[in-house]
Amino acid sequence: MSTEQEDVKLTAYALGELSAEDAATLERELAESPERQGELQAITATLDAVREEVKKDDAALSARRREQIETAAQRSDADDAPEAGADPGAKLEPKVVPFTPKRSRRGRLIGAVFAASAAAAAAAGVFLVQSAEHRGLSEHSESAGYKKLPSKFKSPAQAPAPTTAASAASVADDQPGDGKEDLAREKGQDPGRFNRERYDHVVDNAFVRVSTDPRSTFSVDVDTASYALTRRHLNDGQLPPKGAVRIEEMVNYFQYEYPEPTGPHPFSVSSDVASAPWAPEHRLVRIGLKGKHVPPRDVPGTNLVFLIDVSGSMSDENKLPLLKRSFGLLVDQLGAEDSVAIVVYAGASGLVLPATPGNQKQTILSALERLDAGGSTNGGEGIRLAYAEAKKRFVPGGINRVLLATDGDFNVGTTSESELVDLIEAKAKSGVFLSVLGLGGGNYNDSTLEKLADKGNGNYAYIDTLREARKVLVEQATGTLMTIAKDVKIQVEFNPTEVEAFRLIGYENRVLAHQDFNDDKKDAGEIGADHTVTALYEVVPRGGAVPGPKGDELKYQAPRAPSPAAAAGELMTVKLRYKQPAGDVSQLLEVAVRDGRGTMQNANADFRFAAAVAGFGMLLRESPYKGSSSFEQVLGLAGNTNASEARSEFLALVRRAAQLKRSAN
Amino acid sequence: MSSLKAQMSEGNAVQSDGKWVLEALDQYEAKLLRFARSIVGEAQAADVVQDTFLRLCKQPERDVRGHLAAWLFTVCRNRALSQLRSERRLQNMEDDDVQPHPDSGPATKFERKEQLTRVGRAIRELPERQREALLLKLDGGLSYKEIAEVMQLSVSNVGFILHQAVQAIRNEIASESALPAVARRMS
Repeated sequence: MSTEQEDVKLTAYALGELSAEDAATLERELAESPERQGELQAITATLDAVREEVKKDDAALSARRREQIETAAQRSDADDAPEAGADPGAKLEPKVVPFTPKRSRRGRLIGAVFAASAAAAAAAGVFLVQSAEHRGLSEHSESAGYKKLPSKFKSPAQAPAPTTAASAASVADDQPGDGKEDLAREKGQDPGRFNRERYDHVVDNAFVRVSTDPRSTFSVDVDTASYALTRRHLNDGQLPPKGAVRIEEMVNYFQYEYPEPTGPHPFSVSSDVASAPWAPEHRLVRIGLKGKHVPPRDVPGTNLVFLIDVSGSMSDENKLPLLKRSFGLLVDQLGAEDSVAIVVYAGASGLVLPATPGNQKQTILSALERLDAGGSTNGGEGIRLAYAEAKKRFVPGGINRVLLATDGDFNVGTTSESELVDLIEAKAKSGVFLSVLGLGGGNYNDSTLEKLADKGNGNYAYIDTLREARKVLVEQATGTLMTIAKDVKIQVEFNPTEVEAFRLIGYENRVLAHQDFNDDKKDAGEIGADHTVTALYEVVPRGGAVPGPKGDELKYQAPRAPSPAAAAGELMTVKLRYKQPAGDVSQLLEVAVRDGRGTMQNANADFRFAAAVAGFGMLLRESPYKGSSSFEQVLGLAGNTNASEARSEFLALVRRAAQLKRSAN
Repeated sequence: MSSLKAQMSEGNAVQSDGKWVLEALDQYEAKLLRFARSIVGEAQAADVVQDTFLRLCKQPERDVRGHLAAWLFTVCRNRALSQLRSERRLQNMEDDDVQPHPDSGPATKFERKEQLTRVGRAIRELPERQREALLLKLDGGLSYKEIAEVMQLSVSNVGFILHQAVQAIRNEIASESALPAVARRMS
């Protein structure tokens, strides 16, 4: 053994890092070599001097920072509780190994060292959760600047995966999600157990008896993120978490052939009725809205501010790099009258590109190109900066929009989520709207992003591929960017002579109180140019059995007699309220719906497809109302349509889900 | 043996409020700050450490139980390094002459107090890796294994780096004390 290796050992010994056995051997050697003893003393003295020096610097966080951490700490357990409860199987079974004290600060005197190692050897029966080696598997560590990983850290297949180890590896890294999902998948485990993605828990809307409440009120929703999220999960080989499946967003992902608006209103309203495929004794009602087409020449100036999250977690290929290409597509469509500014946020927020005319594409694109992920996230400050920039170039009557692109890690920094939501709500009133583009996975914060877009009079899309980016930012760019009606609310009144009960499919987090329908102060969803919005009701015809528990009869009220209008044979009346994009006063629109008594088999392909998507959503959500739906039924309904690219992809996803479900059972 | 006790209670306690985070804060705040400061400037170090604890708040306690220190230092180090990189990048973007930030670069970072002792200067002048490992060991109290994990090195590599660091400091101290004598003799 070379002298240097001997010295390495001596240092390890002085630091208490030798095993009891090695320590004993070394101690025997030491006893015979005064020279080595001197060496050890020198090392120990050096270590002590360093310790002493380091401790002189009594570093502390400012009171404000501490306070923020304390607040977050109190909040944290509330956040985690449902996750922990959701999966009782996630209980840890820590792998234990005998503990040898590696940390005891062995001392200044050799005598003390002997005593300590004797104690260590005696400390049998003390166990410690195994921690080290297996946790080094940071496959995504490029972002932190190390590329030269020892090979044993690189292969997830080689990595033993005790639960603690796997989760620690993922959380300790900058990109927790992907690593752990990969790892879990390799091991054939349920990746959901490590998942930090946040989805709000959604309970399916239940059947409502018309005798108790004949009305249904909700806000429109043109978000589509849920479909893209579902797609990502399925393409990753896993069924999506139920909370990630929002049926209305799945249905609204697709464009439907509703008539162009012709009257004074900026959108058209149409309806279809047919038998519900999953419960043939029920009727399925489709309400379709179509926003007017705005020819590009009529689009007034566009003032865009890209607000881009460049925190470390964004460095994945499917985040910042994808985003750069996506925004590139959007920039390609801009002209001299438009402008783009770029604001980034991470540990510090900064204006990367001041408002630049849309025809200076090279300037914009190279600014985008230079973006690089790194740093922590302070979304709040970035949003403020972005709105300030948007205000500078405000185009009256034009598109003024902040496009926030993030994987959603928002809780860092000086701003709480509710403050952020308040800020965005206030800014939306000033005419600057917000679009949210969600990216990546792992620590993806779906619920916050949806809320932000919602309050910012904006829309929310999830970008998982460049194709999706093209859909959102090119094909539907005017819809994404140009709002033609805001605060669009729908209230449906059912006719008690025709309908026993009804159920709104999806829109669970869009339900409004009935009185809010006429309250212009209440915020609701927006419709963009060319957007289509679809809502589905499942209706139990008069006298039919209503699924779910039956409420008691009212003691003090008899059912009211129907009005003369009820005899007209109408199933329901759909009322809509909306405001012009710059307006404050809502306008009302009413449409009556009749049941043509048709079956789903004979319904038009477009309606059948919408029903198929809803059925698929219910299956993925394992909805209590899924009735006789099956993946085969979904394929049958959707399969006869003229398959566009998007719809063919849907069919592939259904097959994939069916496969996953089969193998899960 | 207080660290051993901490280990055990960490392993056994099932706490239902955010108290464990606050305990971690008390225990590691200064250590993490000193460690972060050896990589980035003082202001950024505070950002990094705050961020590290905020991230800790988002972890279920059971996920970090038993390896809290390694978790904290790993996250802290990752954040500090990416902070450092983005800082350099922003500078490049802002102006083309790459003036080092007055408060950046490991050497200046560590030297917060004007009068550094010999040992302080010796630590400051260590190569980055040696300095990191030394702090993780002597200040953070991490084991070789944990350091290996935090720094993405092998355990034997850690042992070697620490040995080098100790020797470098030892030589530095020795040469410093020898220097005045030599100088005297020459004059």
